[in-house]
Amino acid sequence: MNIAAEVTALRLKFPGEENFVFKDLDFSVGRGEKVLLLGPSGCGKSTLLQVLCGIIPNLVEIPMRSTSQRLPDSWGILFQDPDTQFCMPYVDEELAFALENRGIPREEMMDRMEDVLTKVGLALPDLHMPIDALSQGMKQRLALASVLLGEPEVLLLDEPSALLDPEGREQIWQAILRNAEGRTLIIVEHRLEELLALGLVDRVVLFGPDGIPIGEGAPAYVFAKFQAELERFGIWYPGVWEDFFSSEEGQRLLNASPLEGRRDVPKLVELSRYQGLRQGQPVISVEQADIHPGDFVAITGPNGAGKSSLLLSLIGLLPSEGVYLLQGEQSGHRKGSKRMGKRRKDNRMARSIGFVFQNPEFQFVADRIPDEIAFSLKQDGIAEQDIAERVSHSMRQFSLVGLEERHPYQLSLGQKRRLSVAGAAVRRQPILLLDEPTFGQDAVNTFAILALCEELRRQGTAIVMVTHEERIAHYLATQHWEIRGGRLVSREHTPRGRHLFGRGEVEGARKERSLRPYAQIFS
Amino acid sequence: MNMRRFLTPKVQTWMHRANPASKLVMMLLLFVMTLLTHRLDFIFYQAVLFIVLLFALSGYQPWKVALIILPFVLVFVSSATTMILFGKGDTLWWAWGLLHISEESFYRGIHIGLKAVTFASQGLLFVLTTSSVALFYALMQQMKLPPKYAYSFMASVRLLPMVWEELLVRRNALLIRGLRPPRGLAGLATGAKLYAVPLLSQSIRRAHRVAVAMEAKAFDGSRPRTYFYPTAYSRYDLWIPVLLIIVQALAYTLAMLYPPFGIADVRYH
Repeated sequence: MNIAAEVTALRLKFPGEENFVFKDLDFSVGRGEKVLLLGPSGCGKSTLLQVLCGIIPNLVEIPMRSTSQRLPDSWGILFQDPDTQFCMPYVDEELAFALENRGIPREEMMDRMEDVLTKVGLALPDLHMPIDALSQGMKQRLALASVLLGEPEVLLLDEPSALLDPEGREQIWQAILRNAEGRTLIIVEHRLEELLALGLVDRVVLFGPDGIPIGEGAPAYVFAKFQAELERFGIWYPGVWEDFFSSEEGQRLLNASPLEGRRDVPKLVELSRYQGLRQGQPVISVEQADIHPGDFVAITGPNGAGKSSLLLSLIGLLPSEGVYLLQGEQSGHRKGSKRMGKRRKDNRMARSIGFVFQNPEFQFVADRIPDEIAFSLKQDGIAEQDIAERVSHSMRQFSLVGLEERHPYQLSLGQKRRLSVAGAAVRRQPILLLDEPTFGQDAVNTFAILALCEELRRQGTAIVMVTHEERIAHYLATQHWEIRGGRLVSREHTPRGRHLFGRGEVEGARKERSLRPYAQIFS
Repeated sequence: MNMRRFLTPKVQTWMHRANPASKLVMMLLLFVMTLLTHRLDFIFYQAVLFIVLLFALSGYQPWKVALIILPFVLVFVSSATTMILFGKGDTLWWAWGLLHISEESFYRGIHIGLKAVTFASQGLLFVLTTSSVALFYALMQQMKLPPKYAYSFMASVRLLPMVWEELLVRRNALLIRGLRPPRGLAGLATGAKLYAVPLLSQSIRRAHRVAVAMEAKAFDGSRPRTYFYPTAYSRYDLWIPVLLIIVQALAYTLAMLYPPFGIADVRYH
């Protein structure tokens, strides 16, 4: 077979690490093949991708050795993060950068740019457009366009859809499919639904945690034969949600007993004609909504619709207008409210609401994991003995035992996420807000986070989670809020919510525009 | 986004069309001349005339120019007061402990304040009429600046707003976690560390990724480059030295004819 890229007896070790990433690995890709590399996080797939095209060791110096290697004649690589693949501020300038590098005459540039943007399905009214004005999905297609301008024979894709919402994922794979003809594709990806639905892949190579291939073949074969491994490695294979929820563990998660008498418990949050403001302008409007203890609210909607703004105004970081009753007391700080008053309210909000940021690193404040969890407790002036007890309980609950001496930054992606939830929830606040906590996580970690949220929910905490996963709203949530264009457009009690709370079928009608008074809905 | 719109000129003047590289050289020569000016009246008229040029040639609405030069007051006051209060001088006007104002130090303070304002307005005239991308393209083509430096600078300009956004996120996160750093110097150090660690680690990772992405696009200098924005010299590049000579000559003439202070040399001998 005609070989596009090959490496034999590859040995590679990161400086300062004990174990080899690869020990005597042979790997080759035929010309025109579309190969998907699968494996658990940290098994070296992305590293292999960079070795195959020579980024390692030519651009990134990592000691490696191989008996023979064949680099592709021409190649291009698309990375995971849409924001870190550009060096210029405008779309046309960024595309020009790729053309200038190849010495393409200036007169041809405009035509080539328009042509490549059509190929990736990115229709822009004006090419001189700031890249910052594009959505993440559009940025990723622009990055693909820029790579395609190099006319690569081998296209390497390093989790290109991991940080996109479902719509962006769909579009980037469509764009890749349109440009796959006649090219060799080497793909690393965790999220497989869109990718496999398009039939883009002919060969799947499954790696074990130690960087040794444990199986390969056509997708259908691999998915049938290695189902257990895929599940264990946390890969988002098609049907992973259904498999999880029909597993024993998933069933345990779903089968909560109805909360008898919980309807009489006072509401935690009541919103009415509520607006969150940025620079004096409303960015999120909620006509009417409420949250009970033990609720699991899933908030969905497109990027930029106002989901995060809602969370920020609920915790008082954005000023707000209208009725916001937090445990029965008017809350939310208004524009121009007195500083002292504001501070007292902030304290009360912090005691009632926990907040988990999208990027866990931004909320870490301590150098050791137990200190990170204990941080809020120490501020509350709780006795040392109690703190130690609660911290060790949290460490067990969030599977962080054995990592006591690590710096929070040295944790894996999933561990960081669990630690951020642990630190935010340790005060046992009645409400926990989470901003896309499962974003970019593998399946195993996602299910672990959901299990933790469900555990907290059963203890009476109200979970409010912004998410792109429709399945979370569908399977686990008790309420599903949908936000579009800065408005809460629909508020639905899910079947699970109706089951747990014994709520009526019709309450929380799909259209919130013609709102009936709250009392009428509940009577 | 709003910042970008705010910093877009309303009209393109001929100053925008001049070659940024030659404009930079002219401006540097001008800086040297201003630096070596010791005549208080001359520097006074330079400051006045360059502020007038800012309004006339920057291409921005007058209210924007006015807003942008507002901080000049601060520049003037801060650079002038130190010299006024601590500078040497023989004709003592007022003294109180360490502070003493003499006639010489007073005028030298005014002089330094005006000089700072002149530098600021000259620099601003350059910055407001030159985009960073245009400047680096011109430096690559006319001054033979190696592309790797030019593109590194342009890439880092793109990364700055991201750092700013992360700073805001970090501030929110610290607020939510109820963090109040202890007062005093120790608190300042703790506070700096709380911001520096996450922001730096993010920035370093991001810069590394951008660099790899750039190099992966055949950015290795092995082939001759072409340029999306060709820059060349034009008649405007002649107009700039002519304009600057006229302005300086006018400032000097006015200083001779209508001296507001009548001090030929502010230096203390």
